[in-house]
Amino acid sequence: MARTPLEKIRNIGITAHIDAGKTTTTERILYYTGKSHKLGEVHDGTTTTDYMDQERERGITITSAAVTAEWKGHRINIIDTPGHIDFNIEVNRSLRVLDGAIFIIEGVAGVQPQSETNWRLADRYNVPRIIYINKLDRTGSDFFRAAATLTEKLGINWVALQIPIGAEDTLKGVVDLVTMKALVWEGDELGAKFHEAEIPDDLKEKAAEYRQKLLDTALAVDDAAMEEYFDKGDVSVETLKRCIKKGTISGEFRPVVCGSSFKNKGVQPLLDAVIDYLPSPVDIEGIKVAPEEGQDEDSDRRVIEVSEDGPFAGLAFKIINDKYGNLTFVRVYRGVLRTGDQVLNTTKGHKERIGRMFQMHADKREEIKEVYAGDIAAFVGLKDTGTGDTLADPADPVVLERMAFPVPVIDISVEPKTKDAIEKMTIGLQKLAGEDPSLRLRTDQETGQTILSGMGELHLEIVIDRLKREYGVDANVGAPQVAYRETITRPHTEVYTHKKQTGGSGQFAEVKIIFEPLERNAGIIFENQVVGGAVPKEYIPAVEKGIRVQADTGVLAGFPTVDFKATLVDGKYHDVDSSALAFEIAAKACFREGMKKAGPVILEPIMDVEVTTPQDHVGDVVGDLNRRRGVIQSQDMAGTSVIVRAHVPLKEMFGYISNLRGMTKGRASFSMQFHHYDPVPRQIADEIMAKSA
Amino acid sequence: MPMRLRWVRGRTEGDGPDDPDRTREWVGCDDAGEAIVRVVCVSGPIRVGWRLRHAVARDEEARVVELRPPVDRERRWLIVVGGRVVGRAALPLQAVRGAEAALGGG
Repeated sequence: MARTPLEKIRNIGITAHIDAGKTTTTERILYYTGKSHKLGEVHDGTTTTDYMDQERERGITITSAAVTAEWKGHRINIIDTPGHIDFNIEVNRSLRVLDGAIFIIEGVAGVQPQSETNWRLADRYNVPRIIYINKLDRTGSDFFRAAATLTEKLGINWVALQIPIGAEDTLKGVVDLVTMKALVWEGDELGAKFHEAEIPDDLKEKAAEYRQKLLDTALAVDDAAMEEYFDKGDVSVETLKRCIKKGTISGEFRPVVCGSSFKNKGVQPLLDAVIDYLPSPVDIEGIKVAPEEGQDEDSDRRVIEVSEDGPFAGLAFKIINDKYGNLTFVRVYRGVLRTGDQVLNTTKGHKERIGRMFQMHADKREEIKEVYAGDIAAFVGLKDTGTGDTLADPADPVVLERMAFPVPVIDISVEPKTKDAIEKMTIGLQKLAGEDPSLRLRTDQETGQTILSGMGELHLEIVIDRLKREYGVDANVGAPQVAYRETITRPHTEVYTHKKQTGGSGQFAEVKIIFEPLERNAGIIFENQVVGGAVPKEYIPAVEKGIRVQADTGVLAGFPTVDFKATLVDGKYHDVDSSALAFEIAAKACFREGMKKAGPVILEPIMDVEVTTPQDHVGDVVGDLNRRRGVIQSQDMAGTSVIVRAHVPLKEMFGYISNLRGMTKGRASFSMQFHHYDPVPRQIADEIMAKSA
Repeated sequence: MPMRLRWVRGRTEGDGPDDPDRTREWVGCDDAGEAIVRVVCVSGPIRVGWRLRHAVARDEEARVVELRPPVDRERRWLIVVGGRVVGRAALPLQAVRGAEAALGGG
């Protein structure tokens, strides 16, 4: 990899709601930066970053593709992420390792639900952002209205760096408020050329108004710039750019640019903005090390600064299996790594030897011999490194801050159409689950079925399709089921003795366990409080294993049991008849008995649903959501439409789209995403239990 | 007509241990160099001893003054003439323009 100085590298993501134009914008960027010689179009299925068959067929992005481009002496590593909520994990892990992001907002609808979700994720990781209001060529688009939704829905302090010249089909270009020049494109075609011009007369007043807002906002972050303004009545372009970069990185304000990627207007200035305002790896704070056990998430922790000096440290953020084998994408934070070096996987505590390394251009790759701090590269052949693992020089075995993964909400059962494909299917599903932390695989202990849990119907559909195409396994798939969970509502202490005497050596184990409810998303905690050797140390792991295995099959309807603590407080053993197996069996039985007495309940996923409907159908939509056990959260006007937001159980949302279309004559649309788990009402719990019995 | 003033930095302070000192006060001087107006950023909430003060600013003598009721968080810059608050703004440059307009009778 040609060595680019750190300050000339930009690691950025492109993210937005579905269909806001992320992939089209990425394709334009690749074209204008000379990486791609022909323009790919989403609707033609010829894009560079959507390289999977399913992506090209469906016109959507499923995986985050990493591509590298050069612009004005800088290297820009870009990750184009999916917009559909089912593939939110891709956005999550990309934002985690990026230094900056372009947030694309659609010029007609403004901020949409997925923009909000991604925005909050970027907040979590403190990612500096540029907002790009796209599709200003579309009928009904309005830059100022779309920008206003940034305040209404995201509550952010935004500042326009450009305003559009013309609108909809008369969009001609933009006014650059930094230089106070008009940038005018000469046509809609592959518009590599544009020229600077004077600001049109009818826009002069508006441009002056927005320029003053820009100065007011940007200069407030820099005292020297304020003084320059007081002295001269204005500031130089360099000073203004310095202030915008400072405010963008600190998050004091969010800069907004605009255009139409599809009509080839605004892309080159967007690239300039990436160079001018988004941080290089050395402009940001670095990455924190993971909290130690018992340490709070918000606690002060050591920060690894991005630098080529010092022992190597990098974070594996994505794994894909393709025809060439296992590719692990790594963001390098510190040091240099060369082919043949050995590193420590500090998350799992084993060594990995670095074989071949590649710089990726979507599905194409270029072999490299070394990687430097600030780079993103793909490593081939790592044995056991998963998403979120840290690779580090054994000289400083740091563990970097981990990623948070979303909870799967939909289950399907899968079985191969032919018996001899069982092994192939298991291997394939394990590999796919290894790539995708939002996909979970388990075996139902009672039925023996393989259960796949994912983020939505589309997510699981794509997985089954990949299983067929990439692993040659044709599978029968059950109807999507809600991923119910079970938990407990009150503490209970249970004692269970497992005793078996069938001739020869017998089995004996006794455990006393306190089961207590935990808050949502706390998972399962096991604690050993045995004193005086009542249960010998070598049997404690077997007790924990028994609890965890049995928790996969809840006592009410067989769903996984979550959010509880099991504390082993006492027990008994026998010198001859006790074994790890006996204690595992005792723990399982103790769980089954204890849970029944600890107020078990079934939990169901509640979705955050947003319906955009014409005003004359609001009553129907709200009434229908109420019938679906929905709780209306808000109703807001958006132009001539109303946005209804509600919390609705996922169970009630299957097939909703066809109902909604019927009710509104196809004029309404909706999106939904997981919000939280809640106990199901008694009557529905009874139905679920009857079904599972 | 707004009155044109010469603006100089006043007091600086950071919001916390990680925050470098920023100018929290700009002083508007007339042609003779006499300070005639200040624009001051309101800080808070901050804990002073056992008391939580929602909004504080410093007066001419740098004494901490608590504002009651606390100012709107969106308009944290006060325009202060002769010890009296005559206007508020979200950003320092807006406050400066507000001060010049107020003094010019605008």
